Amino acid sequence: MSLIDEKDQVRTEEMLLNVGPQHPSTHGVFRLVVKISGETIIDAEPVIGYLHRGTEKLAEDLQYTQIIPYTDRLDYLAAMLNNYALCHTVEEALGLEIPERAEYLRVIAMELNRIASHLLFIGTYLLDLGAMSPFLYVFAERERIIQLFNELCGARLTYNYMRIGGVKWDAPPGWLDKVRAFVPHMREQLKMYDDLITGNEIFLNRVRGIGVYDTETALAYGMSGINLRSTGFDWDLRRKKPYSIYDRFDFEIPVGKNGDCFDRYYLHLLEMRESLKIVEQALDQIPESGPVLGKVPKLIRVPAGEYYSGIEGARGELGFYIVSDGKDKPYRMKIRKPSFLNLQLLPKLLRGQNMANLIAILGAVDIVLGEVDA
Amino acid sequence: MSEEGRKPGEAQDQPADATEKPEAPAPAAPVTSAASAAPGASAAEGADKPAAQDVAKPAAKEGADKPAVKPAARPAAAGAGAAAKKTPPPDPRAEAAKEKAEQVKAAIVAQLGEAAVEEVGAAHFVPMLVIRKQDWPAAVDLLRTHPDWRTNYLEFMAGTDYKDKGYIEVVIYLQSTELGHFICLKTRTDRDQAEIPSLFSVFPGVNWEEREIYDLLGVTFTGHPDLRRIMMWDDFKGHPLRKDYNEWDERNA
Repeated sequence: MSLIDEKDQVRTEEMLLNVGPQHPSTHGVFRLVVKISGETIIDAEPVIGYLHRGTEKLAEDLQYTQIIPYTDRLDYLAAMLNNYALCHTVEEALGLEIPERAEYLRVIAMELNRIASHLLFIGTYLLDLGAMSPFLYVFAERERIIQLFNELCGARLTYNYMRIGGVKWDAPPGWLDKVRAFVPHMREQLKMYDDLITGNEIFLNRVRGIGVYDTETALAYGMSGINLRSTGFDWDLRRKKPYSIYDRFDFEIPVGKNGDCFDRYYLHLLEMRESLKIVEQALDQIPESGPVLGKVPKLIRVPAGEYYSGIEGARGELGFYIVSDGKDKPYRMKIRKPSFLNLQLLPKLLRGQNMANLIAILGAVDIVLGEVDA
Repeated sequence: MSEEGRKPGEAQDQPADATEKPEAPAPAAPVTSAASAAPGASAAEGADKPAAQDVAKPAAKEGADKPAVKPAARPAAAGAGAAAKKTPPPDPRAEAAKEKAEQVKAAIVAQLGEAAVEEVGAAHFVPMLVIRKQDWPAAVDLLRTHPDWRTNYLEFMAGTDYKDKGYIEVVIYLQSTELGHFICLKTRTDRDQAEIPSLFSVFPGVNWEEREIYDLLGVTFTGHPDLRRIMMWDDFKGHPLRKDYNEWDERNA
């Protein structure tokens, strides 16, 4: 057998390559079976389920308040948003009124969590692409947010802070001032990241024009969040279906142009700025004092029926669907998992790409496997 | 502590209720509340100031003696609020949803015949239609391309096992990003021979969702290109989200 094929190229054989399940770039336990010929990807097959804990099944035996800690373990990088999504659906079903101060505390916590999650994305994405130092920078800032959360609810990752009808604890004395001091600091840091990373030639060559898809594809595949907005489509539930008190804040929805990996990276950066704006306005508007938990019965019984509501999570539309038969436990609970749906397009994006682009494309989807597998 | 913490909240909630009441289109309420709420409202205003003091100084032990005054005012206002919400049983939002569902039905029936829509209603203020199994992909595709609806975004998909009613239900929430419609469609299948035509040809994004429903609920989606287990491992037996699933069952061992 000659080493040169009919096209005068070096002859290669197809081979199967397992990326993961224990691969640092898969952000969890995610396996990707890639069929490659030389350096070109012919086909890719995601295999998920390694982190499947059956949250939906478990929820059927839990009271509504008891489910909240389980939501922490879905998208563990943005647990506040998960907490809120569940509470929001139950509150919608019950038609509860939430005390003002609780609403503001929730928004501050959620937006800080969004920043922490996006920071981690930028750090790990750059790390995936071979840049070591951004990871260390963003972890310093993320650590400050996590310290703030630690003071607020006593946990660094699995917060369990929200309750149906409000939040568990009021902010400790001086906490809001610490958040206020954090905002301008974070703004400066963001500017520094922008200067350090966005103009970097090596980085740009890795991400520009890679992993491109258009709005129609994104919509047909049920994508949401930054993955959808990077195609230039303005779709943010905080604006389109305002929940909580988001209609009171002045902020922008950054959208991309080309739908490539660079846009997805840059939108994370821009969204953090908008989140800071929201935090700042919320700090100005928050009532000095007041209750943080509304009038909620001890045992929450959701009236029979079915309820779905989604919020803008850190990774896209995060929704909870609850079927209730009038008891204190859901008859069926289903989670709309943004990472799960965003990941579906991956095989299509990878086909025909160079092997080196695999990690660049996968990283930009911004998945968390705790959520994909639920 | 919680009791003291909540009292001011109730007192503060009342004025908020009073301001919001006009928004609720309840024609019967103003007549009854105008008579009864007048003292209630003044009481609420009066209660507002002590409440503010309660908040200002958390050591409101004196406030503990007062409840004799507060509860007297509270049931009147709260009762009026509850009455305004409960007495008109058909919620206007649910009624509007049902009306919209009828319009959707008309659009579907015009193309696919009367039998295609089995039930019309509202799923918590969202127009809801139950579609006959055979017409499932056709109806979804129809709404996607229909100029009045253009539901181009499948937001959410789930399956539920209604064991007592004897069927498994698959539900989708469709959304039109241009026209702002939000519609809930359902279809039902027998539990023993669970089989539903796949929506893959209409929305490729249901690929994994249908696989998940197949895996956890045991619904076969005919026409799905790649129907395999997705969450559980390949040689797993049974479907965990079914209500009669028993993990100690011999078949599953």
